Amino acid sequence: MGNFLDSYGFLIVSTFWGALLGLSVYLPLMAGQLSLASPGFYALGGYIAAILSTQVLPHSGETYPFGFVLLEMGVAGLVSAVLAVILGIPVLRLRGIYLAIATIAFVEILRVLALNLEITGGAIGIFSIPQPFRSPVGYLWIALPLLVLTMVLLYRLEQSHTGRVFRAIREDELAADTMGIDPTYYKVLSFTLGAILAGMVGAVSAHFFNTWNAKQGTFDNSIIYLAFVLSGGSRTFVGPVVGGMVLTALPEVLRTIANIGGIPLWLGGFLQAMRLIIFGLLIVLGSMFYPQGIVTPELLNRLKLAFRKQPKRIST
Amino acid sequence: MSPDVPILEVQNITRRFSGLVAVNNVSFAVRTGEIFGLIGPNGAGKTTLFNVITGLTPPSSGQLRYGQTSLNQLRPHQIARLGVARTFQNLRLFGNLSVLENVAIARHLHIHTGLVQSIVGTRAAKTEERQTALKALEILELVGLASKAEQTARNLAYGDQRRLELARALALQPQLLLLDEPAAGMNPNEKGALSQLIHQIRDRFDLTVILIEHHVPLVMGLCDRIAVLDFGQLIALGKPEAVRHDPAVIAAYLGGE
Repeated sequence: MGNFLDSYGFLIVSTFWGALLGLSVYLPLMAGQLSLASPGFYALGGYIAAILSTQVLPHSGETYPFGFVLLEMGVAGLVSAVLAVILGIPVLRLRGIYLAIATIAFVEILRVLALNLEITGGAIGIFSIPQPFRSPVGYLWIALPLLVLTMVLLYRLEQSHTGRVFRAIREDELAADTMGIDPTYYKVLSFTLGAILAGMVGAVSAHFFNTWNAKQGTFDNSIIYLAFVLSGGSRTFVGPVVGGMVLTALPEVLRTIANIGGIPLWLGGFLQAMRLIIFGLLIVLGSMFYPQGIVTPELLNRLKLAFRKQPKRIST
Repeated sequence: MSPDVPILEVQNITRRFSGLVAVNNVSFAVRTGEIFGLIGPNGAGKTTLFNVITGLTPPSSGQLRYGQTSLNQLRPHQIARLGVARTFQNLRLFGNLSVLENVAIARHLHIHTGLVQSIVGTRAAKTEERQTALKALEILELVGLASKAEQTARNLAYGDQRRLELARALALQPQLLLLDEPAAGMNPNEKGALSQLIHQIRDRFDLTVILIEHHVPLVMGLCDRIAVLDFGQLIALGKPEAVRHDPAVIAAYLGGE
């Protein structure tokens, strides 16, 4: 077990970040808002943590204090929230594809700023971000509780009146408006919740990756996170979690399969060299044959029923 | 309030869409507690007028007063908050949500627990959620949809979808209810039942109702007063019998001269 965690610790923790970033795209999507801004807030959070831990917060000794990481995550979440509200109020007046374009622009602006500012280390970025844990597996102490907590909160949110209002706006914003619902308020709320999550994940990721630069928040990432949600399923929070984990692990899994002995050389070579193509192909095929994503509310209901029936059958 | 006090005053309302004048200098007052019919041929501007009253389309000129409040600058949700609810001619249900959820969403203005309270699951939040469900069921009972509460809204039969639109508007507990062709697509039996239901609702909830309807017998039997629009202009206003014999109305409907 120890050996397994040592080899795959980095990958396992990465899948958790994938799940959380998928959820940060899913949150605005709950209210029907296609936002691609997550990488922007993710990068911002990362820079906040990188700057705080290398320049501001004093520490000595081999490991960086765990509490400081949590503090950085809090600061990153807060700054992301404030920025999301400021950005959200004008931007969320746009609908559909225009909102997506505006959020891409936001991500680009942050990227160019990061490339050119001194405090972010320019094109080189920030190096030697201190480590709170001895190995990547240690980050499970943050990743696991954060993912579980986020999922519990999202489950509760979906059951709550606010969750219902989000879905109403997603279905028909105009009709929701005539029911006394202020769509702007709820759209900004969902957008901000997603931004807070992305900012917090960014903060801890800066430590996890040890280095942070302008490549962390790019348009490519926007599309990858969106793929997490679209392939996993965009109508329940379980979808982005599954999508984020599977798609994060997939390239690595393909590489591992390619290295297994006994596989024909040509197939191994194909899997190794073409894994990104396979990755893209799966996204295309997935959206053709599972346009709702892999996990849908209907599927979850069926699973729930199946689990409920099982014990009864055993007892009788 | 005495029945002669106007709940809604439409004063010289005009709405242009580039070259087209959809509503042209229309004025009338709706009295508290009456059922007010708005009729006219297709394209007469009835739905546009509804959209102007509910804030979906701002008027090009003119004044709208609801009691003492001007509606001119208000957004739809602010107008809903004042006690104005509407249904849509081309059904705008939340199709992927259940019938019960559709009505529960319309209870928005009566739900006071916030996001944090409902996520934490405080006692107040749970109580309110239960009350919301009960109230929603009560309203569904009234329109005869209680047995279909768990169904997905878009799977309902057409007539049931119309009734759900009505239930959703009622869930706001409005003082003024705007119904845009509530009987469209219903058979004569359903139309009769609906007519009774509207009467019943008005009496039970002390409502004022403005109704757009094509089906003339229904309007004549149901409404206290009727306004007739033709090409955006108000051509007649008065009691059903008077309007029915108005030469301008007959000309508009049958194509006079």
